[in-house]
Amino acid sequence: MNPLLAVDNLCVSFAGQQAVNDVSFELNAGECLALVGESGSGKSVTARSLLGLSGGTVSAEKLMVCQEDALTLTEPAWQKIRGSSVVMILQDALMALDPLRPVGREIEDVLKEHGTLNSKARRVQVIEALASVDLPDPERRMKQRSTQLSGGMRQRVLIAQALIGDPQIVIADEATTALDSRLAALVLKQLAALKNEGRAVLMISHDLAQVAQLADRIAVMRAGKIVESGTTEQILNHPQHEYTRTLLRAIPSGVPRFAPLSIKATASEPRQLPPTEPDTTPALVVENLSKSFAKHPAVIEAGFVLPRGSTLGLVGESGSGKTTTARMILGLERPDAGSVTLLGERFVPHSEAARRSLRENIGAIYQNPLGSFDPRYSVGQILTDALSAGRSKRASGYKDQVARLLEQVELDPALSGRNPRELSGGQRQRLAIARALAPEPQVLVLDEPVSALDVSIQATILDLLDRLQQETGTSYLFISHDLSVIEHMSDLVAVMYQGRIVEQGSTAEVFGDPQHEYTRSLLTAMPRLR
Amino acid sequence: MSRTAKILSSLFILFWVLTAFVPALIAPADPLAINPSQAFQAPSGAHIFGTDESGRDVFTRVIHGAGDSLYIGLAATALGMGLALVLGTAAALAPRWLDEVILRVLEALYSVPSLLMALLIIAFTGPGVGPAIVAVGLSTAPGYARLVRSQIRTLKNSEMLEAATVLGRGTWLKVRNHLVPNALQPLLALVTLGIGQAVIWAAALSFLGLGTPPPAPEWGAMLSAGRTYLHLAWWLSFFPGLAIVVVAAGATLIGRALGGKVKAL
Repeated sequence: MNPLLAVDNLCVSFAGQQAVNDVSFELNAGECLALVGESGSGKSVTARSLLGLSGGTVSAEKLMVCQEDALTLTEPAWQKIRGSSVVMILQDALMALDPLRPVGREIEDVLKEHGTLNSKARRVQVIEALASVDLPDPERRMKQRSTQLSGGMRQRVLIAQALIGDPQIVIADEATTALDSRLAALVLKQLAALKNEGRAVLMISHDLAQVAQLADRIAVMRAGKIVESGTTEQILNHPQHEYTRTLLRAIPSGVPRFAPLSIKATASEPRQLPPTEPDTTPALVVENLSKSFAKHPAVIEAGFVLPRGSTLGLVGESGSGKTTTARMILGLERPDAGSVTLLGERFVPHSEAARRSLRENIGAIYQNPLGSFDPRYSVGQILTDALSAGRSKRASGYKDQVARLLEQVELDPALSGRNPRELSGGQRQRLAIARALAPEPQVLVLDEPVSALDVSIQATILDLLDRLQQETGTSYLFISHDLSVIEHMSDLVAVMYQGRIVEQGSTAEVFGDPQHEYTRSLLTAMPRLR
Repeated sequence: MSRTAKILSSLFILFWVLTAFVPALIAPADPLAINPSQAFQAPSGAHIFGTDESGRDVFTRVIHGAGDSLYIGLAATALGMGLALVLGTAAALAPRWLDEVILRVLEALYSVPSLLMALLIIAFTGPGVGPAIVAVGLSTAPGYARLVRSQIRTLKNSEMLEAATVLGRGTWLKVRNHLVPNALQPLLALVTLGIGQAVIWAAALSFLGLGTPPPAPEWGAMLSAGRTYLHLAWWLSFFPGLAIVVVAAGATLIGRALGGKVKAL
């Protein structure tokens, strides 16, 4: 049998810049191949060139898509193939669907384009397709617009749209990346069903743990090249290439506390805190915090205690109230009820003026650090501003301290003249950490600090946070939707669901013997390698 | 902005500042000196822009007119922007109901065509330099105010200011270090664009006889006076018109370059 996809020495370049270099693979019916790599590795460009959508200059010794020579296809010929023989499921369902049209119509378009059915028969097919992806109440949902559906429903609509043309090849480009673990598991289940129906599935992802469940074979891409490929078993258990090992090592699930995830990090040393300070006041006590927005409760009686020098992981899906909780703790949002005590002193509710003297004890790190920097400031000025308590970004006499802070977060002090816009995502997050550390706070609130980063960069940031905690004894409130990150980073875990903390305890307890129904469902959905 | 663009812009601004403050440096003659025997001379070596119906040198008058024209343009923009800063900032920082009130007032003003509003104001005050400034200033203010408001509002709710709050910065430090500088940068571009616009408006009012009274050399007024003789002496209107175009286009180009990254424009 001929493979559905046969790619030999595929090269794609943009204005002379080589994005994909000598990539070769085959994909058969009923098989799943995963292209794994970090952002910029060329995996998406590779996938797009299989649909004639790369937008660059494509060359290859062989590029066969469904037994057709893709190198010679004209645009009208491509249009015939797209949607019927090859489909792509995109990462961002909200962007991929027209916000002004009912989703049923969006799906129907595929049938209009490729089929000969009348409108009644098309409607029946659309409902069938939506039902086949487990979308509840398909007849009602098909009349709704994408903005009226939840993220998980939208992703299922996209899958239904992909399937309705009965394609032989399904390309899933980071289709699970933006989803919570439970939704991701659901999408993976759908993709597995496609594979079992005899379709070929090409998965594009940066997350080895995620693809391991589904893929038969994995090809690891880096800088436009496939550095290693083999069966999933081979790649996971006997990785040959150094880079594959880096990626595998970076997956935090099942790695004990303080064990390094990145190669560079030095093995953790025992805690070197001065023993003269047996201060047992908790770093943070949160009691009965509640907040409603327009009568809709966002957080309901959230409470926990963060002991000194330890990490409490707050985990939950998007919309569960994690960020609102963090904002109330930081005094950015006024709670309807409840209180926050920082190092034994009342922090919330309080007037901002009364709170200000305590502010130096608590810092915050956000998911998108760039937005939290003044765009006019350079790296050095951001840190000078933080060190001088805002007196001046140009204040002299802080040069040594700035350099020390940069070294502490493993950034080159030579970067201090740069604008943060010129830094990479990982470097920006390091800068944000350095700024938060400037006043030497006792508590850091980290709201999804690594969610926007690639797995290997995430590993280096997590290692850095581990090291800093051991050096400084800072307590972390670590907020994430990613269970594996929470498991690796936390001493204590609190699980948040629909505004409530439904379960909390030590990490071992919560992960080993979950009590609440929701926690159990989260844990079963969690992709694990170890 | 590239280096060349910076140098050219600086030279352009320097030239007009010099012209406005010390016109005699460039055109030493008297702009009001009449010489009927020299009337309607076409542009030549002696009178490079020609002479008008009373034999006055057009070049001298254009150069000396720069002061009034630019003064009206600058003063009107300053007035408009000043008002806009007060109203826009107030609306952005005020409680919701006050914001709504200010917005509705601004929208009502905005719905009146600006030139019409300027004419209306002059109808009350009578023509003159001062009234022209007030008219142009007042009628541009609502547009600026809405931009100032949205600018400050965006900044007020930005993560940047939130991060500053978490770092323990008080209101004064946040306003001084982050809010004002970040709001002003795009406004600077807007002001430069606005000056070009205001110069045109001032000229338009003078052209209609509502600005600077004759015989003072003002570009709009000269344009208007030359209109009568357009068929036999094109240079009477052409050169003041050219001056208006050059100043307005120059200011617009510089403003665009300054506001290169500002989406609001």
